[in-house]
Amino acid sequence: MRTHALLGALAIAASFAITVPLSAHHSNAGFNSDKVIEISGTIKEFQFTNPHTWIQVIVEDDKGAKTEWSVEWGSPNSLGRQGIRPSTFPAGAKVTMRLRPMLNGAPAGGFVGAKFPDGKTVGRWE
Amino acid sequence: MKARLVALAVTVWLVPGLGFAQSASGTTRSYDTLPDWSGAWQMVGGTVFDRATQTGQGGATSEGVRSHPPYNAEWEAIYRSNLERRDKNLFPDTISNCGVPAGFPRHFNLPDPYEFVVRPEQVWVLTENGPNVLRIYTDGRKHLEDQWATYTGDSVGHWEGDTLVFTTIALKGFRDKDVILDRTGLVLSDQSRATTRIRKIDPKTIQVEMTIEDPKALTKPWVVTKQFQKMPPGTRLYDYGCAENNRNPADVESGKTLVIGPDGKPLNKE
Repeated sequence: MRTHALLGALAIAASFAITVPLSAHHSNAGFNSDKVIEISGTIKEFQFTNPHTWIQVIVEDDKGAKTEWSVEWGSPNSLGRQGIRPSTFPAGAKVTMRLRPMLNGAPAGGFVGAKFPDGKTVGRWE
Repeated sequence: MKARLVALAVTVWLVPGLGFAQSASGTTRSYDTLPDWSGAWQMVGGTVFDRATQTGQGGATSEGVRSHPPYNAEWEAIYRSNLERRDKNLFPDTISNCGVPAGFPRHFNLPDPYEFVVRPEQVWVLTENGPNVLRIYTDGRKHLEDQWATYTGDSVGHWEGDTLVFTTIALKGFRDKDVILDRTGLVLSDQSRATTRIRKIDPKTIQVEMTIEDPKALTKPWVVTKQFQKMPPGTRLYDYGCAENNRNPADVESGKTLVIGPDGKPLNKE
C-alpha cells in the first residue's frame, strides 16, 4: 500500500474544491478534513446508490495482505447531473485515489479524486 | 322543490371535494393568472439555517459556527448544549436514519434541487433530498382548530399578486428531539409557527422569507430569508432512496454519525 500524507493547503483546498455539494444527510464526522492520503488498489465495486455513493477499493500491502477500503462520495443524483455514471469506476480497474481518511485510522474516507493508469482523472486531482 | 334541495345537499355531501370547492369559490386563481415557478431550483449557500446571523467560518458541522435567533435564556441554553454536542460530533441528525421528514422550516434549508409546483388549489414545494413535500393549500380552507402536530405542520395561504403568503402551524418542534433546523443543532419549540412569503425576485431567483414566531423559545419574531437559484433548463431530479444504502446512520445511544464498513459493522462505534 502506498500512503502519502499531503498536509496543509493542498488538503484544505482539495476538500473545498470538490464540485459536489455536501449533503445534509449526515455530518462528515469521522473524516479528517485537514488531511488527504493516497491509496492505490483495485476497484471492487462502485455503489452508485442513495443517499451517498461508495467506492470499494481493494488495497494490497507489501506482504500480500488485502484490505478493503470504503471511499464515500456525493449522492448519485448530484453526481449523475455532473456526468458521473456507475461505469465511472469499473470493477477490476486499477486506481490511485485521494481521500480524507477516518480519524480513527479505519480503512475508509471521503473521496477527493482518483487517477487511472491511463492518466484519466476523476474529481479533484492536481 | 324540497326534495330537489335534499337531493342537491346529498350530492354535495357525497361527491368528494365538491362541498369544499364550493365553500372555497372565489379564492382560487386560475392557472393562467398564476406565476411561472417551473424548473429546478437550488438553495443558495450552505445549510446554516440563518446565514444572516451566522458567526464562525464554515458549514453547519464546523466547530464554532452558529446562528443567532432571538432565543430566550432557556432556549439559548438548549441551543448551546446542542452546539457543544455538535462540536464533539455527538449531535444526532435524525434524518440520517431515513424516513424522518426534514420538517418545517428546515424544508427550506436542504441541498439538492427543489421544485415549486404552482396549482390553483395548492402549491407543492418538492425537495429531492429526503424526499420531502410541503403542501400549501390556497383554496380558501382554514387551519383545523384541533390540528395535531407533525414534522411539516399544516400550511394554508393565499396569493397577493405574484407573492404566495401562507401560515404554517402544528409543528412538533424539538418536542421529540427529532426536528432540527440545521446541523448546528438549531431548534424551535412545539409552539412555533411561521408566516412565509414566496416570490420570484428576478427570473432566476425565488425568495422565501419566513417570519417565525415561538412564544416558548423566542423573545420576538425571527425573520429568515432563503434564496433559490434556477438550475439549467432540462435539469432532472431523481429518487432519493435514503434507505437504499445508508452507511451513515446516527447511533441512537451516542448521537454519533456512524460509518458502516463493507461487513455491515460500524468502523467508528468507539
